Amino acid sequence: MTATATRPAPPTPPARHARRRRFSRQTREMWVLMLPALVPVLLFSVGPLLYGIALAFTDARNTRNHETSFVGLENLGDLLTAEDFWSSFRIGMIWAVSVTGLQFLAALGLALLLNQDLRFRGVARVLAVVPWAMPPVVIGLMWKLVYHPDAGILNSVLGTHVNWLADFSLALPAIIVVGVWTGMPQTTVVLLAGLQNVPRELYEAVEVDGAGRWRKFWNITLPQLKPVIVAITSLDFVWNINQFGLVYVLTQGGPGGQTRLPMLFAYEEAFRYRFAGYASMLGLAMAVVVLAVLGLYLWRQMREAK
Amino acid sequence: MRMKSALAAAAIVALAAGCGSGGGGDKGGSKAEPGEPVKLNFLSLAWQKESVAANKQIVDEWNKANPTIQVTYVQGSWDNVNDQLVTQFAGGTAPDVIHNDSPALSGFASDGYLLDLSDKLPAELKSDIPQKSWDTVTFDDGKGKQGVYGVPFLQESQVIIANKKLLDGAGVRIPTPDNPWTWDEFSAAAKKMTKGGTFGVAWPMKSPVNKTLNLALNFGGTFFQTTDGKTTVKVGPEEKQVLQRIHDQLYKDKSADPAALGQGTADPLPAFYSGKFALLPAGVYLRQQVAEQAPKGFEWVTLPPLKGTTADQGAVSQTLSVAQDSKHPDEALKFISYFLNPTNQAKLAKGDWLLPTSVKAASDPSMTTKENGWDVATASAKNLVVAPFLKVNGFDEWKSKVATPALQEYFANKISIDDVAKKLVDDGNKVLERYQR
Repeated sequence: MTATATRPAPPTPPARHARRRRFSRQTREMWVLMLPALVPVLLFSVGPLLYGIALAFTDARNTRNHETSFVGLENLGDLLTAEDFWSSFRIGMIWAVSVTGLQFLAALGLALLLNQDLRFRGVARVLAVVPWAMPPVVIGLMWKLVYHPDAGILNSVLGTHVNWLADFSLALPAIIVVGVWTGMPQTTVVLLAGLQNVPRELYEAVEVDGAGRWRKFWNITLPQLKPVIVAITSLDFVWNINQFGLVYVLTQGGPGGQTRLPMLFAYEEAFRYRFAGYASMLGLAMAVVVLAVLGLYLWRQMREAK
Repeated sequence: MRMKSALAAAAIVALAAGCGSGGGGDKGGSKAEPGEPVKLNFLSLAWQKESVAANKQIVDEWNKANPTIQVTYVQGSWDNVNDQLVTQFAGGTAPDVIHNDSPALSGFASDGYLLDLSDKLPAELKSDIPQKSWDTVTFDDGKGKQGVYGVPFLQESQVIIANKKLLDGAGVRIPTPDNPWTWDEFSAAAKKMTKGGTFGVAWPMKSPVNKTLNLALNFGGTFFQTTDGKTTVKVGPEEKQVLQRIHDQLYKDKSADPAALGQGTADPLPAFYSGKFALLPAGVYLRQQVAEQAPKGFEWVTLPPLKGTTADQGAVSQTLSVAQDSKHPDEALKFISYFLNPTNQAKLAKGDWLLPTSVKAASDPSMTTKENGWDVATASAKNLVVAPFLKVNGFDEWKSKVATPALQEYFANKISIDDVAKKLVDDGNKVLERYQR
């Protein structure tokens, strides 16, 4: 059988025309069917998003007797020259990078452990997912009790009398620990799923070559997991840099702004000091930063994969 | 087929449009039909058990006596009331009657969210509360006109709660409301009581701003000045007095317990009961916890406020306001007048262990009894003057972004008095500028 023999004759012009018409009708039906799903997205997601972007270029304030006017890039100028913003941005970056990194390492360890043929593996896997079931506010309250200077379990175990969340140098590390704890389940589950997709034959093959545990991990497990790792760390990064509820409950950005993540900063600007336009610009700037960081990261990973 | 899909699309669009417009309809409190009672929402921030009970009781009594104006008690919290109000005001769903404190009113007043009550106040209520208390709720409406944006009803003064045994043992003069301690006497007494692991005084400075600013008036320190309509921060010799004196107690005299420094106002109480220090400068309300929690046999007294060049203290008050967008402002004000009549004010003051603004309530026997230091506390009301920072637009941001960290660092002895002054002024003026554009 040759290729030329099976190739169909070129369609005649009227037939092509008919097919295009059928195609466009299909498209139309597709749109009609998608409309119920699209309307809420447009109304409740795209709409507010565009509104927020528009606000960022005005001097809008959350007040009753203020005439909002268009100010162009003034908010951006203010933002870039504000020390508060940069210190908040720096804290946000420290938080997001260290939480994502530590979360990944801890979750990878846990996933490898849970992937072993342990006794009570089922129970252990369920336990590992428990923090996922808790809303951030509950986690925040729980850890607040752990860190409590007088009644906290941490101080009584260590025999110290440290006010963890009120200390200028300890507050950020303390909330990073909570952040890592909170985000571990989903990272673990995703990595575990990835681990189970690594073909057993690969391990058998290198075992024949006499590879040890470390070689197996380094040369088989990690490369095989790479797409999963890229996906989950990027998602974790976005999730962490936009974290709000957890830190709001734990420290409200204190002491003295040492844990004021960018989103807390935006919240304060909008709802405490009522500079809605400025806060919108802050949100916009953070979205751009996240997109840029992610874009760079994903682009590098993709290039390496090629 | 085509017809059908077009119909379906039209139906969906209509449905969506219906949903969209349905959401924004009801704006704060429905308009009452004739014959139906007017409904008011009352946001209360009472949190102490006795005080919540007193609040609810007064609301119940009102609802029974006034079937045509029914009030719903809504529980709020001091922690997030201002964030909550900003969103509620913006969304048009704010409660009709709002419990808050005067520093917060300044911003809401100039933003136009609160009703100016100056022409609406009943004479009886107006005359029962002294003018200097009304001054704590008189603000600019954002367009240059002064108005009264709340009814002040509870005030707090700074007194000193003392361990009676340690106080008597030190053999110092016991101050009275007519002849209070000066700051020098206070420092000397604290020094005298510091011996053998016991400290003279404890300064819990987790939230140092309001405390130091209110006390700074003892030496005429105002921290803000307004020239040509522009408000700037000022830290001169008057402002530095109280800062320096507290700092001296901590690091020069070493008569202040360093362990209390990072604590909130009520946190040092266990150490106070165990006699680790003798004097605890605190708001009058803290007497409630001492009275209820102190171990049996622990004797304590309330000492009157200190005197510098004057005994003046900055005062803020708790307030009840009416939302500008309330549908029933007159009914709301009627309710406020009832809620804050002298009998009820005495009840509320007792519940919160604070001082009533009402002159008649302050002369209530329960407000002047020697028990639990009520006589000293109530007498200290005469020293209260309106806090200068009250009228400063942007004070809240100055406080949380500049003053709190700067003062915390100063009291932790990490920066000098000149550094803290420079921070308060330079960084502070930058913050205030945003509000004066």
